[in-house]
Amino acid sequence: MTFAEPDPPQEPLRVSILSQGSYLIASIHTALNDSQLTRFQRDLIDRIGRDRARGVVIDVAALDVLDSFGSRTLRDIARAGRLRGAVTVIVGIAPDLALSMVRLGLDLDLPTALDLEEGLAHLAAATGAGVVGGAAAAGTVPR
Amino acid sequence: MGGGDQPILDLVPIVRRVVGARIRDPHLVDDLVQETLARMMAARARIGDETLVPYAIVTAKNLVASHVQRQDRDRRKAHLVADPGSEPGPEDGVLGTERRQLVAEALRRLPAEERELLVAHEVQGAGTASLAAERGSTAGAIAAQLSRSRAKLRVEVLLAERTDRPPTDRCRPVLIALSSGDRRRQQRLDCAGHLLECDFCAALAPALLDRRSGGSANPEQRVRVTRDADVVAARQKGREVAAGVGFSRTDTTLVATVISELARNIVQFAERGEILVCPVEEPGRRGVMIVARDVGPGIRDLAGALTDGYSTYRGGLGLGLPGTRRLMDEFDIVSEVGKGTTVTTTKWLRDRPAARGRDL
Repeated sequence: MTFAEPDPPQEPLRVSILSQGSYLIASIHTALNDSQLTRFQRDLIDRIGRDRARGVVIDVAALDVLDSFGSRTLRDIARAGRLRGAVTVIVGIAPDLALSMVRLGLDLDLPTALDLEEGLAHLAAATGAGVVGGAAAAGTVPR
Repeated sequence: MGGGDQPILDLVPIVRRVVGARIRDPHLVDDLVQETLARMMAARARIGDETLVPYAIVTAKNLVASHVQRQDRDRRKAHLVADPGSEPGPEDGVLGTERRQLVAEALRRLPAEERELLVAHEVQGAGTASLAAERGSTAGAIAAQLSRSRAKLRVEVLLAERTDRPPTDRCRPVLIALSSGDRRRQQRLDCAGHLLECDFCAALAPALLDRRSGGSANPEQRVRVTRDADVVAARQKGREVAAGVGFSRTDTTLVATVISELARNIVQFAERGEILVCPVEEPGRRGVMIVARDVGPGIRDLAGALTDGYSTYRGGLGLGLPGTRRLMDEFDIVSEVGKGTTVTTTKWLRDRPAARGRDL
């Protein structure tokens, strides 16, 4: 998958957004550039409405770098999601990424959790219900 | 040719394995495999099917060996413009004539004194000592002069090949500095900056630089930055260089993050630019240096841009430059309004005893 064009309208994303009960689980699979991040942000906020999600887990374990733009984008997703009625939690920040963010002075100012499991537990607590229907997982979103 | 070629095509995996085991560069492997096959095609009539495989293996090995020899010789004789070692083929006659005309034209463009010296040394075979004696100079000075003249000659040969003229007065000195490999002079002339602005020189530069690196692995990474995707490419290259120097995973991530910020600045504010990442070494310490250079509007309020929270463009946290400065050990920014910005920043490896006690 290459991104030769600056911003083609329908390029495949390097991100998957899965629906799990009333939660969305968004996983970033590779390093993303700024336009890809921006598109991810738009898609995810759309999906919150479409799926009537009450919680969002964003797994950033595969991100190579979380710089000012990446941090800002995650923060915007969480805030916009909040405005649309969903709680967002970021999971999977790698140790090196965490240390470099601290040294860079970047504070996500967002709920974070170690991994997906902890993230879902956080959402369950924050949304006040264990709504996770175990069998309700959907497939990768074809986009 | 039809079915007669099939046995040759069947050789591809074998030949590839033979060459691949000896040569690392994948492009070179492709080239040598192609060349082997071409020779096999040419010799097809003379070889029986049963000896095809051993013949191919021997051919491939010979080609690899002669390539390595040639590379070796190229390294030793890199200062010579003409390459007397390459085997003359039918097409080389025409190329050779053309080449000779180019070199003759280029020689004509050199100052008379330099021309005479070059011809005396390279063509008539006069040694530097005897040339020095004739001219009341020293062998070292003559050798240095010869090296400068060769650098000029290489540039003039390249220019003679072109139909268009260098567009600016800076082009020639910049190209000569690149050709001579004189880093100080390159810096003084701001060669890298010129290459960004001048497509003419940017097109010629690789020919001058390739020769110098001699095909050996060059740890320095240079990434042109004009769009989003280049930011990711630049930081990934930077990570490789930093890891090669020996930085920890956290520090390579830091270096990658810094490159990401700097490269984004280029994409956001400037038309085009580049990120250069290279290992640096000083007595007692090693590190990685990042140079982010762009041709852009420049920064009007440099002090402001270096302050935390300085809001510049959509999306950032305004941490780009100040954050970078905090993370790195050395940081230098030069910006000229209307021309461009250059950020030079270095991170030293910390865990080496010699580095301790410095201002960490």
